[in-house]
Amino acid sequence: MSTQPMDSGMETAEFAVGAEALTALDDGKPPATAGTRKWLRFRFLIRFQSLLGLVLVLFGGIIFSPRRNGEILFLSADNLANIVRSVSETGIIAVGMTFVIIAGGIDLSVGAVLGLSGVLVARLMIDWNYGTALAIIIVLIAGLLFGVLQGLVSNYMRIQAFIVTLAGLQLARGLARFISGDKFINISFGSGPKQAPSSFSVLGDRFGGVLPVSALVFLGVGIIGSVVLNTTRFGRHVFAVGGNERAARLSGINVRYVKIVTFAICGIAAALSGILDAGQLAFANPDSGTGYELTAIAAVVIGGTSLFGGEGTVVGTLAGALLLGSLNNILQLNNINSNLQLIVTATIIVLAAALQHLASRRRGT
Amino acid sequence: MRSALKESRTNMTRHPAPRPLALVTVGLLILGCAACTSASGETVGSADHPGALAKNCGTGKKFKIGFAQANNAEPYRQHVNSELKQLAKGYPDFDITIADGRGDSNKQISDVENFQTQQVDLLMISPFEAQPLTPTVSQLYAKGTPVIELDRQTTGDKYTAFVGGDNQAIGKAAGTYTAQKVLPNGGEVAILEGLTSTTPAVQRTKGFTEGVAANPKIKVVAVQPADWLPDKAQTVFDAMLRANPGIKAVYANNDLMANGAYLALKGQNKVGDVAIIGTDGLPDEAGGDRAVIDGRMTATFVYPTGAKEALDLAKSILVDCAKSVERNTVVDTTLITKDNAQAAIDKARN
Repeated sequence: MSTQPMDSGMETAEFAVGAEALTALDDGKPPATAGTRKWLRFRFLIRFQSLLGLVLVLFGGIIFSPRRNGEILFLSADNLANIVRSVSETGIIAVGMTFVIIAGGIDLSVGAVLGLSGVLVARLMIDWNYGTALAIIIVLIAGLLFGVLQGLVSNYMRIQAFIVTLAGLQLARGLARFISGDKFINISFGSGPKQAPSSFSVLGDRFGGVLPVSALVFLGVGIIGSVVLNTTRFGRHVFAVGGNERAARLSGINVRYVKIVTFAICGIAAALSGILDAGQLAFANPDSGTGYELTAIAAVVIGGTSLFGGEGTVVGTLAGALLLGSLNNILQLNNINSNLQLIVTATIIVLAAALQHLASRRRGT
Repeated sequence: MRSALKESRTNMTRHPAPRPLALVTVGLLILGCAACTSASGETVGSADHPGALAKNCGTGKKFKIGFAQANNAEPYRQHVNSELKQLAKGYPDFDITIADGRGDSNKQISDVENFQTQQVDLLMISPFEAQPLTPTVSQLYAKGTPVIELDRQTTGDKYTAFVGGDNQAIGKAAGTYTAQKVLPNGGEVAILEGLTSTTPAVQRTKGFTEGVAANPKIKVVAVQPADWLPDKAQTVFDAMLRANPGIKAVYANNDLMANGAYLALKGQNKVGDVAIIGTDGLPDEAGGDRAVIDGRMTATFVYPTGAKEALDLAKSILVDCAKSVERNTVVDTTLITKDNAQAAIDKARN
């Protein structure tokens, strides 16, 4: 704890780096100076950086949108629905990933688990005659177990999550190819043999012809994730474990349990995405979802979640995912080279991470 | 090779003959397309096909055309894009935009949806995977936008026209060439196949075998898969040569494997003793045309892009207000030898 007078402490904080700032700010007293209030406001902005970013991108979308007969094409209901649909799979994964990352972990297996789940749900319905609901439940449980397995290995064998889930990626991809016989599976709907129940095709439908079911599922998952993280005891434990694992353990939190559950949540999210993928495309490809883990991590980072753990929000992640989708959409509507889209995304990721770092330094965490 | 794998799986869906891995130039020897395209005579234009033809057409207008490419990262697809852009200069009424599906059906669906939002006058597409893209493309078509599919098809019949190559015909052309020009007096021939689970590999090999059968003095002594890969082709052909020292010609399902065969010949100091016939004929520096000029390959057969045929179709639909158009256009291959390889490269560079 700092013994310096408050004011000079704040002065130091504004220009200090690392540990110095930490000692300067972390004195447990309510901040009082004008400078502090200024930073508080700044912090508030940074905390919702992705929401602000999203608003900026949406404004940009409106301004730069191509128009036809005075209609702003970017704002058309179809287009907005398309944006949400286009990020629904990576977005759902990103919500699960938010839990893992806040708890101080990472999950690289999600894209492969998506591929595995798509193939599994297809075979369950087509070749093994399961009904829609049962097939979906089995696949969700499989995703959960996959996450639990990774959590167990990581926590009890004391291997970094990065390595365990890298292995999990290979395992899931291998299983996906094995289960599919290394083939694409076309899903046709109906009650005949080798057909999936028609109810499964709902996943590819649009409510009222506009709102895609997958987009609704994505938003639903976001709301549930946000509520769990913000209002439950488990949610608070996730923050505690990611913020300071030792302190969490000493205060009686079952750290291993919390970490394993975050992997389970992420596994379920990836499985759900895989089910949606197969339902939307009427098609299961064992290689589906390749690289989705990175898009999901990008959405989480842009959403203001720290890769060091301990802080982050699901709302931020949702905004991050929608920001990426809107950005790609507006660049595409203006026929801007698709390679440039990647470059712009790269810039935004770095900018978001830099803001995040700045915010945590100010906060002294 | 990833592309070859994807390909095979797509083929297994229910599609006839898309294309294989890396390939080609059309353009070249298009000695008047009446001779080089074969058509089915089937046409569309009815209540079931609102997108079959243009609602808004005529001369003196500007038309937006969106091309949803499957994956720009494949050399063949890059070549299609550049040829399309180059040829489009000859169609001043057309404003063509290319979207990169990045080898991901979800991404390509978004691309098509965005073209729909932009209200393009015509969609061209090479679907990355047939079935996933079908609903989105069908929907666009149902709302009255003409759709021209290049090289690969969606399932069903909700598109205006398809333009693509025929792998078996390409293999047969290579076989006939080998039988008549390379080994008119007969001899032993070897075949290096692509991944045998892929349709293009099977069809090209089948076509070649049919083609060389025209000369009874030719004997196919070895057929082995090298999975589209040059290093594997080198190993396989090295062994083939040792087992059958009398081999006079080798046919490879793609130019990469043909290059592997060349390396095997070089290793045994037999360059020039064996004719190498490839497939693809891409005009870039790493492609088959350059290999033919350098003498690493005797000849190669082009897998066509169909860009010119697709643009001509778009013109008849949008500008000429055609009452009907060809449903299936199969674009013929082109023989590339030392005589025309440089011309093919120059043409692609313009």
